[in-house]
Amino acid sequence: MENHPHEGPAVNRRSMLAMVALGAAATAGATSLAGCSSEAGTGGAGANVDALSDLLPKYQPIDLVKADIPASPPAAPGFVTYPRNLVDAVTEKPGKSGQTVKVTTLNWGPTPPGVGQNAYVDAINSELGVPFDFSVQDGNTYADKLAAILGARDITDVTVVPSWNTNIPRFPDAVKTLFEDLTDYLRGDKALAYPMLASFPSNAWKYSFWNKRLHAVPFVSDGPFAWALFYRKDLLGSTPLPKTAAELLAFGKAVNNPGKNIWAFCDIFPMVQMIFKVPGSEGGWRRNADGTVQNKIELPEFEKAVEFTAKLYAEGLVHPDVASTKGADAKQLFASGKIMVMQDGLGVWQGMYRDQLKVTPGFNMQPMPLFAHDGSTPIMHGTDQPIFYTFIKKGLGAERTEEILRALNWAAAPFGTKEYELRQYGVEGKHFTRSSDGTPVTNDLYVKEYANQFSFMSGRNPAIVGGPDTPNYVEDRTRWDGNAVQYMEPNPWASYKVEQPTNLAKLTTPTLDKITDIIRGRRPLTDLKGIVEEWKANGGNEGRDFYAGLLKS
Amino acid sequence: MATQELGGVGVAGESRPAHPALTTPQPAAGRPAPRRRRLRDRLRRDRTLLLMTAPAALLLLVFHYIPTLGNVIAFQDYNPFAGDNPFESFLYSEWIGFGNFQALFRDPLFWGALWNTLAITAFQLVFFFPLPIAMAIMLNSLLSGRVRGFIQAVVYLPHFFSWVLVVTFFVQMLGGSGLLATELRSAGFTPPEIMTNPDTFILLVTSETIWKDVGWGTIVFLAALSTIDTNLYEAAASDGANRWRRMWHITLPGLRPVIVLLLILRLGDALSVGFEQFLLQRDAVGSQAAEVLDTYIYWNGVVTAQYGFGAAAGLFKGAVGLLLILVANRFAHRLGEQGVFSKS
Repeated sequence: MENHPHEGPAVNRRSMLAMVALGAAATAGATSLAGCSSEAGTGGAGANVDALSDLLPKYQPIDLVKADIPASPPAAPGFVTYPRNLVDAVTEKPGKSGQTVKVTTLNWGPTPPGVGQNAYVDAINSELGVPFDFSVQDGNTYADKLAAILGARDITDVTVVPSWNTNIPRFPDAVKTLFEDLTDYLRGDKALAYPMLASFPSNAWKYSFWNKRLHAVPFVSDGPFAWALFYRKDLLGSTPLPKTAAELLAFGKAVNNPGKNIWAFCDIFPMVQMIFKVPGSEGGWRRNADGTVQNKIELPEFEKAVEFTAKLYAEGLVHPDVASTKGADAKQLFASGKIMVMQDGLGVWQGMYRDQLKVTPGFNMQPMPLFAHDGSTPIMHGTDQPIFYTFIKKGLGAERTEEILRALNWAAAPFGTKEYELRQYGVEGKHFTRSSDGTPVTNDLYVKEYANQFSFMSGRNPAIVGGPDTPNYVEDRTRWDGNAVQYMEPNPWASYKVEQPTNLAKLTTPTLDKITDIIRGRRPLTDLKGIVEEWKANGGNEGRDFYAGLLKS
Repeated sequence: MATQELGGVGVAGESRPAHPALTTPQPAAGRPAPRRRRLRDRLRRDRTLLLMTAPAALLLLVFHYIPTLGNVIAFQDYNPFAGDNPFESFLYSEWIGFGNFQALFRDPLFWGALWNTLAITAFQLVFFFPLPIAMAIMLNSLLSGRVRGFIQAVVYLPHFFSWVLVVTFFVQMLGGSGLLATELRSAGFTPPEIMTNPDTFILLVTSETIWKDVGWGTIVFLAALSTIDTNLYEAAASDGANRWRRMWHITLPGLRPVIVLLLILRLGDALSVGFEQFLLQRDAVGSQAAEVLDTYIYWNGVVTAQYGFGAAAGLFKGAVGLLLILVANRFAHRLGEQGVFSKS
């Protein structure tokens, strides 16, 4: 065997060795070649969208139903009674080609059955005259998926992007390359061809500019508030609600009962920051009275919030599952009564309330009224930015683009229309039954098939609508919203379309990791100063100059 | 003998060594044919074998070699949206030489992630790698086929669970509100922190890996054990060798080529220790304990859309892996083993 000619593998090995040598040279060269190489990344960009007002669609309001509980925007008005006579708002079939429109959208919940097996989607498709085929992605991991879809340029006809995913580096490049410029379809009076879209407030449209052109249809925010602290009113009864940070800690200790498998909280760090009045604009920036700009992590308020949250962990008030794995589901722990207080967006309220009432009679979740750590005037993080943007693929041609816009127009019909009812509740008799006061009450088929497919694809003027399956929801929600809206923190960068500098974006995870270490008790609080210094040196100062520069321009 | 069979590349029933398509036929005595002629003859002679290899080679080409060219972005400030199509984005992205590597090697977090990765590999090489061998020998010594099949089914199963499930299972058992903690608490003890202790994290991830994959790892060793000639055992037994002697002188030498092969492959994979397992438990123990190379690349390359930087880190990982394989293979040859590819 040793003497047998056996060239092939030997040659392979030699060339492999050569490759390794090259690789080693390349790695060694990395330092010596420093002179002729430069660093990657962008310095960030921000465009003032106020200057583009002559490109905005013409605003033409639709008033079909008078709100029972009016609200000051961006809070949404409430409707307690369901209108008896629904308006048929879109009489002409939007679709003509019959060619399938593929849509990438997102939802927080199980994946629904697809087109052809989903009576809800099929009913709307036949109404539209053009089939919409949805690929519904998990909302929790959508950002990662989106990065891959965009990077590969592998996009569907329609793509829904949440606003919190649009400040990633190079997103404006992606928009320019991949998505249709809608300016000439929607500018000024042209928008009147799509009356439902024209009824969106100009404030929502102005966020849809990228590279100074109108690129997306906004989903008008119906919940401008970042977070709320929900508590189980049915289980806690008359326990007095906290009005200061110290009372929150005492409240947590009072309801915590590990022996009975009950814990007080999930991770509520973002809410704690709000309680300690840490700024939240653009991820935590603040403009001081003297015009200087500061990030939250440099502020004493933030240090106090970290200290307080670390105390919650140290006292064992946070559910161990939440502390042990990212896979833990705070919603489930809260619904099953294993945690008493949950931080979540207000969007979770109605759905969980409706679902849990069926399993747990008397289930009652309520958001705590806002309070500040010292009992002073609280603040609320949030934005009136659209929640989602809907993009249309570039190069589909004018006819197809208009067809899709007509379908989006259909899906944007407001409360009080037949289209709204079909989109929101499905088909009568199949997905819902009508209660004595006319309100639709949805069933299990609805829960299985409805995943906000058409609802997230196109916004509408917000409305808070209840029903017998969620008693008192409208009243409770509008009361909380009406209180919270007065505390919303103004955002100095509200009229800017911001693309973060790469160095700042890169800094987010490492810095958060270190702060998490402090919160979980793996590092002392005194380390925070050093963490802030590192943050400043590695891109924080660059970020500050960037955000300050935007306001000066 | 066992060596050749377990190399797995020889065609059954032929005495020719591995890679029949690549071997040179002996030229006819006294009449050296021109080289081109020889190649054509060889192609004709081996056309069936070549045809059979073609689909696999094509698959490699399309899904491995062509995508490998994409590594060029490691030397670019890669912008996936430059130009009109993905190909043009390679052409139009700015060349920055070794800028990405420079940024990579300057980042202390990268070295931290590399250190964690190597520590976990080394630890698992000692505390995980031998376990499937021991288990395979144990299973092999079971006489009842039914009992053996049952045990095999039970220990193979966790391999098919996703990491989310495995981690959740550990949380439910050993976490702060899990079975163990609840029992301890009701008995009046303070439960230990198993899932959230960064100091013992390496033990935790290794236990999880053992639970998930030890059964799966036995498969190759069981296959190798089945090729050991039973006559050897009988002969040794009649010579008076006890159970331990037989294992030491027959079983382990029979397994040696496979052990060495898998060890080399594992070394080549030294910089990959898994991804989801660490992502899921990252906040529980902190990034200082749980950041490995793959999660580092994910956070710094994918999440922030720094694809060039991510590719640079990936390329570094690949180069180190290749180097380790070659070193380990050469070492195996020194010890007289066949290794991953044979010595000329």
